[in-house]
Amino acid sequence: MSTAIKKAEYTPAMPTSRELSSSSATGRGRRDGRPHLIYLAIGFPPAAKSCAYRMRETANQFRRIGWDVTVVTIASTSWERDSGVDYSLLEQVDPGITVLELPLAREDLETDIRMFSEERALRPAKWVTDLRKREKRVFPEPVFGGWRDTIEEAVLGLHRQHPADLLLASCVPYVNLAAAWRLWETHRVPYAVDFRDGWSIDVVNGGVAFTEESEPGVWERRILDECQALWVVNDPIAEHYQDRYPHIAERVHVVRNGYDADSVTTVQPRRPDPEAGLVFGYLGTVNYNARQLGAVITAWRKARELEPLMRNARLEIRGHIGAGAAREANGLTELISTAAADGVSFGGPVLKAEVAETYANWDALVLILIGGRYVTSGKVYEYMATGLPIVSVHEIDHDASRVLDGHPLWTGACGLDEEGLIDSFRSAARMTIEATEAERAGVRAHAAPFTRETLMRQAVEQLAEGIVRGGADSTGVVSPPPRPRMTDESRQAGEVRA
Amino acid sequence: MSDVLLVAGVPPQPGFLSSAVHRLQEAGARVHLVGAVDTEDLPADVRLDGLCALPGDIAKALLARAAARATPGERVWARIRRERWAREQARNADVLVALDPHAIYTVWRMAQRNVGADARYGVQPAVQAVIGRQGTPPPGALQRLASNLPSRGMVRRNLTHIINSAPRAAIDAVTARPVMRSKAGTQLWLAAVRTPKISDRLRTKVARQVAKGMDWADRPEGEALILTATAQKLRTPASRARMLGDAASRELKAGIPPRNLNSAVDALLAIADERHRAGKQTPAANLLNRAMKLAFDRVLHIDRLTSPLAEDPEGFIAPFRNSLAATTVAAPRGRKQPAAKPPTDRPLRLLIATSANDNFLKLIRAHYESHPQVEIRYLDLAADSKLKSVTWAATQMLEQRLSAEETPYGANAEEQLRPHLDWADTVFVDWCVAPAALFTILDPGTTRIVVRLHSYETLSRWPYMVDFSRIDDLVFVADHIKDLTTTLVPYLQGPDAPRMHVLDNAMDLGGFQIDKPSDARFQLGMVGISQVAKDPLWALEVLRQVRRHDDRYQLLLVGGDMNPNVSVASRKYLDTLNRELEELETVGAVRRFGPTDDVPKVLADVGVILSSSVREGCHCGLMEGAASGAVPVVRDWPFFAGRPSSARTLYPQGWVVGSPEEAAERILQTTATEETWRAAGDEASTHALGEWDWPVVKQHFDRLILGDHVI
Repeated sequence: MSTAIKKAEYTPAMPTSRELSSSSATGRGRRDGRPHLIYLAIGFPPAAKSCAYRMRETANQFRRIGWDVTVVTIASTSWERDSGVDYSLLEQVDPGITVLELPLAREDLETDIRMFSEERALRPAKWVTDLRKREKRVFPEPVFGGWRDTIEEAVLGLHRQHPADLLLASCVPYVNLAAAWRLWETHRVPYAVDFRDGWSIDVVNGGVAFTEESEPGVWERRILDECQALWVVNDPIAEHYQDRYPHIAERVHVVRNGYDADSVTTVQPRRPDPEAGLVFGYLGTVNYNARQLGAVITAWRKARELEPLMRNARLEIRGHIGAGAAREANGLTELISTAAADGVSFGGPVLKAEVAETYANWDALVLILIGGRYVTSGKVYEYMATGLPIVSVHEIDHDASRVLDGHPLWTGACGLDEEGLIDSFRSAARMTIEATEAERAGVRAHAAPFTRETLMRQAVEQLAEGIVRGGADSTGVVSPPPRPRMTDESRQAGEVRA
Repeated sequence: MSDVLLVAGVPPQPGFLSSAVHRLQEAGARVHLVGAVDTEDLPADVRLDGLCALPGDIAKALLARAAARATPGERVWARIRRERWAREQARNADVLVALDPHAIYTVWRMAQRNVGADARYGVQPAVQAVIGRQGTPPPGALQRLASNLPSRGMVRRNLTHIINSAPRAAIDAVTARPVMRSKAGTQLWLAAVRTPKISDRLRTKVARQVAKGMDWADRPEGEALILTATAQKLRTPASRARMLGDAASRELKAGIPPRNLNSAVDALLAIADERHRAGKQTPAANLLNRAMKLAFDRVLHIDRLTSPLAEDPEGFIAPFRNSLAATTVAAPRGRKQPAAKPPTDRPLRLLIATSANDNFLKLIRAHYESHPQVEIRYLDLAADSKLKSVTWAATQMLEQRLSAEETPYGANAEEQLRPHLDWADTVFVDWCVAPAALFTILDPGTTRIVVRLHSYETLSRWPYMVDFSRIDDLVFVADHIKDLTTTLVPYLQGPDAPRMHVLDNAMDLGGFQIDKPSDARFQLGMVGISQVAKDPLWALEVLRQVRRHDDRYQLLLVGGDMNPNVSVASRKYLDTLNRELEELETVGAVRRFGPTDDVPKVLADVGVILSSSVREGCHCGLMEGAASGAVPVVRDWPFFAGRPSSARTLYPQGWVVGSPEEAAERILQTTATEETWRAAGDEASTHALGEWDWPVVKQHFDRLILGDHVI
């Protein structure tokens, strides 16, 4: 696949709903009989965000089964001020996919001071607070609420040009839901929602994020009542939604993130050399807090003192840190720099194309994750697939623990307990020396069912099947699909965890 | 290579700063830092290309009470903008970077003026900006101008919109430094402020903003041009007058003689007259004071080689003579009772008053303090806050003089001064400036008032605020000063004028008689070079002339250097002087001695004393030199040359020369041999001691102060 993606042209003057009413809805106006997916995927490549892989695979899978796919995202340049861009991510995008880049950007992440009003320059914090209020007046989501009109109009315009059979909204941002609803209301185009982590659940701290009576609560219920399917990344989140909205329980599906096979295919474990220094690595978005990182560094320092194998060890942290003005320059980078003498360093982001090579230079991995039982980082699958020892720095009751349970080169989770972390680092150091190739191969085999391609193929096929079936309805109104059946492969994937 | 200016509102974490600087330098930037920095925490590996470290609390510190409501960002900006280095860096930086939220406003403000720079918040965006600049040639002045200059038509069409809708940012962008420095920018804004059919309020608002831009661009003449052009379009005469006044003030502040000084003075006086007629004395006084301050600014008269007052005194003063308000102020009030005769049954009570400057009073005070027929008190009006507040209060003085009734200021002055007047039989006020104006605000009762006018006062506004009808004796230090003063103040030519005296300054010249070595014959000397009016370049020319004949001649310059910042003329003069001095110092022809307290000792080595000034009252340094036995060579001071009284009437025939050539001739002649030189020096010394030494002069003072008063 090439990096040349097909781009749709965004025109601000979008057709009115009246104009659109003459065009048909579901299944109607297909080009060469191919159904059409409008995929709201803000974070699609080249955005250097963790969600980009899931989005790319989702779009590719729809293409694979013969759909026309139009991805709606924001301008590539807008990611420059966010977490950055990685154009190598585009290499795996199916060239048949059309991408519509909307001229949207996070105003709060603007770093060009020339674009600031005097009021913003004078009172930057208040300006952001006021911005949040304004955004929430448009849609009950801070940061992105103000994008509502643009996304809605874009979706309606796309549908006018090329009638859609399905809209799939990947959230965050949740404002995508407003566009899905608008298209449903005006043209009865069925939609599905990929919540990934869920909206009404606070995945980091646990518990409910907002009540059903609140404005977002009303929105969520309204959306989920009519959705074809709701995807989430793990069982605890799925259970939350099934409990909260029992009437849609059958439409809630766990679609795990998985990992990209090409990120680890070339990982050939290097020969660990404690004299030259074992190399521990972390790869992923650095979104944890200073307390967590502080615990890691403290334990690392002591482990180096105690463990002869770690005397010359290094800890390399790679990935994106911060956004906007704080990009690669926040308290975490400061904390990392204070541990330079202990062999801790920050090396910046890694291009997707260089992920495998990066893993190949490490002897062990450090998995630092926020949240608890509702959080499953996509990285956990990738880490597992490398066959390298893993030190976990996260809550014991974390979904990653369930994924890693039984992994022979996993040191186990102990929260932020200092002694536990020191032991974990020391154990991992020993594993790097002692692990047999058979053990490593076993780990990689366990990870195999979690390739992103496998997981997404199943999810997409199920969703598409329901739509294609529903599209035959002569009324043009699509009924919510029946609960998709579990495939053998997905069952197998679930069993690996146990 | 790009220059990056990092701005810190709070002290950056050491690791963060270290990383930031390294990343920027790796990207090919020179990195400078200004703001809150804890220098002790600066990592050793940080190699900044420039640093202006300010206290860590600049985002909290209040520079003034008015700043209590200022945001942290404004406080940071208020502090940083005071740093010249920071301003310079801000102007030249390619990338301006705010390291924290409190630094954003500072960068925002800097970016308004440095339009070619990238302005970023955060280090990574700054690195991207630096990388983005690589390979791009820096924009030239024209390119910058072109990218920031709106069309003239656009400005004219959208003036209201620009000003009202997008006030600061829009205007700041198009009044940026390069724009304002260009002819095109000036023309653009001239067209804008002349746009027809807009309100005075709007026109004024635009002009003020543009003037601010010109100020930032160091173009005071452009600033004045804009304000003058605006004034000509204003409908309200008062607004017009004020703006013309502002235009002239800006030029004077920059040390430039205003192009439209007369228009500004005329306009201000016209409005002052109108207000005075309407009984509005406070604004009338304000306007009159502004007109006076403009007309008598030292840039015009003191800090340059010429003065319109010297060239055409009557013509220069004419607008004030034609002004109702100014003539009302100058109108004599007289005194109800004449000064009483000196007491015969007790010592004369003499009050000597001045405001800080007692340079020429020491011998006089000492003399009368030990004089059995005098009881003396000394009043320094600057030493007491209450007295000081009524002394240098020009506007209130003017208001009092303009008012028929006593103003609160008048009552206050009365309260402060009356006890002194009641005690004294005679008040001797030194310097005809504010103290003289203050003492004559009041009717002195029976107290005799004596005022001494030295020289520079004639070039100031104060004589026009003094009521000479309340002065009994007016003392000058030289006839030419008396002549100029009486020309400028017509009352002094009338029948009721005070008695006028010419008394030499009190100098102890006996102490200057120190034997000179033989080689002093070739040593020219000059005492006092701290003002343009001393014109040392003239002395250098004389030196060159004599060195053509004999390179043993040298020049010794005694005294502190002149201040280059008081006027453009001073700055240019000093530049030229330094250039010429450098050349002459290299060959040992000139030595600079600097300030000294022991002038007699320095003069012992001087064989020829020069007075190269364009104006003087009585040149004390010259007189001291003559007393020391140096041969005096005096330029015919151009301010007074050719008038009935001048240097030629003050000094003996032969001392005064009309040109450097004549000066050289006199020097060569008098120093031809040691004998001729010593003879000429002795003759000069004899004259000086016989005429100007304190034992002689004090008799004149006794006659003035005591008359025939004998107990």
